[in-house]
Amino acid sequence: MDRLRQPLTILAFLGPALLAVVLLRLWPAVFAVDLSLRPPRGEGYSLENYQFIFTDPQFLNSLVVTAIYSLIVNPLQIAIALALAVLMNVAVPLIGLWRTMVLLPVAIPQSVSAVVWGVGLRPDGPVNALVQALGFEPQRFLTSPDQALASIILIVSWIGVGYWMTFLLAGLQEIPRTLYEAARIDGASRWQQFRYVTLPQLRRTLTFVLVANTVANFLVFAPVQILTQGGPQGSTNLIMNEIYSQGFVIGDARSAAAATVVLVSFVLAVVSIQFRMMRAPEDEER
Amino acid sequence: MTAAERVLRTLTIAACGLLFFLPLWWVTVSAVRPQEEIFAFLSPLSPWTLWPRNVTLAHVVELWSGPFARAIFNSMYVTVVTVVIGLVISAKAGFALAVLPFRFREGVFVVIVVSFLIPFDAIALPLFGIMRGYGLQNTYTGLILPGIGNGLAVFLLRQFFLGIPRELREAAMIDGMGWFGIFWRIYVPLSVPALISAGLILFVFQWQAYLWPLIIAPAPDYKVAAVAIAQFSDFYGTNYSLIFAGSFFVSIIPMLVLVVFQRFFAASIATSGSKD
Repeated sequence: MDRLRQPLTILAFLGPALLAVVLLRLWPAVFAVDLSLRPPRGEGYSLENYQFIFTDPQFLNSLVVTAIYSLIVNPLQIAIALALAVLMNVAVPLIGLWRTMVLLPVAIPQSVSAVVWGVGLRPDGPVNALVQALGFEPQRFLTSPDQALASIILIVSWIGVGYWMTFLLAGLQEIPRTLYEAARIDGASRWQQFRYVTLPQLRRTLTFVLVANTVANFLVFAPVQILTQGGPQGSTNLIMNEIYSQGFVIGDARSAAAATVVLVSFVLAVVSIQFRMMRAPEDEER
Repeated sequence: MTAAERVLRTLTIAACGLLFFLPLWWVTVSAVRPQEEIFAFLSPLSPWTLWPRNVTLAHVVELWSGPFARAIFNSMYVTVVTVVIGLVISAKAGFALAVLPFRFREGVFVVIVVSFLIPFDAIALPLFGIMRGYGLQNTYTGLILPGIGNGLAVFLLRQFFLGIPRELREAAMIDGMGWFGIFWRIYVPLSVPALISAGLILFVFQWQAYLWPLIIAPAPDYKVAAVAIAQFSDFYGTNYSLIFAGSFFVSIIPMLVLVVFQRFFAASIATSGSKD
């Protein structure tokens, strides 16, 4: 092989992508760590920005809101996505169309979904019309501190559930039919088939969906920034909105960088748990 | 399943599909009805709630003659350039990582994987701090750049290229073909489905982008559709007809892309989800 020209060939193939990935993904992460360690005044490095954000009631509140939100939205979305996947894992007329209808919202920019649902959830909007037609009092939705977070959860679930359903459907279709036949011969009920065949066989897909969904939900931004700006009374101040308002509205780039580092650490921790869980005991025994 | 169960299940499935589709249908209907009728048929609910009693295209025309047309054009331009450039550099990198023998291949591969484990939106603000210093605010370059460095696209293509038998390139080398020839004449033509999947990843990333364009390109000339729609009231007050018409056009483009390429979308899901 031509030794002289070889490094140039590799550079020509790999250079642009590697440069883009390093400059546009990794460097900003390093830059954020560096910036977060610069004290607001003075030279050198210190943990002052971290001390500040971890004593800042607004940041601490955003962590609590993000935790509550995550604990509700992830199980909820996965339960609905799994139920839909099991329901739709059957050959009935137009099944492709029905699946596509559930998946379509994910194709739309989140900002558009936020704007549309913002109009839909207006006090005199169609959702309240439906609520009243069912015999209930009209609700305040996004303007109520008690209902705003639930409204955000409704919106992001409408967006995301079809996406996760598609992964779970792919997982369901890989389960060998013979397992169900064997279970039926043993007299297993529908529920037992689901519990002892479907769930264990779906473990890898479910783990992936759980982790990817958790990360995606950590990053929810457009619906919050467009519809509530974190309010009312901080009830929807998810961490991405907190970082944005810290960095752009207040203009404290160093605290925002510290909060960014906290968020990225969370994300990487969740992803590394995924890698652990994907390698479950029974896989290692094989 | 008995016949009755089958009918019941089909109806349940159809009901779920329609329930998810309902908001999109409402957007479409509201985009073509006169503005005063958008909230008119809600209490009590009537067939006119979901079917336009009067159809007008007046605000569709108004939309396309206003600043929003520019925003849609910006989105299309930025997305097309991202997909084209992103595909070229991702495919070349995927080829290098799958085929070319070189010393730090494993190390470079780890860098690529780590890069897509860090979600872009999380590092958008620090990147803004860097790019602002290079005068990339309010430029197409600033909008496009983050979209083309996509580690996931590189990863996907590498995985696909690894599955192409090495005998093919060995035969080509005996015929005197160089690496570029092998890449362009053998690997690219054999990889159309993977290229479409990677193209979809690049497309969705850029068309959906909100936080990045919001901060890097706030000037009206460079505003993309996803941002413009969120700031609609700045242009049009509370003209809901225009908001719905805008939402319709921003949504219909990715929906058509999804419907046309759904097969490849599912394929990319299968690679990233259930396999190693």
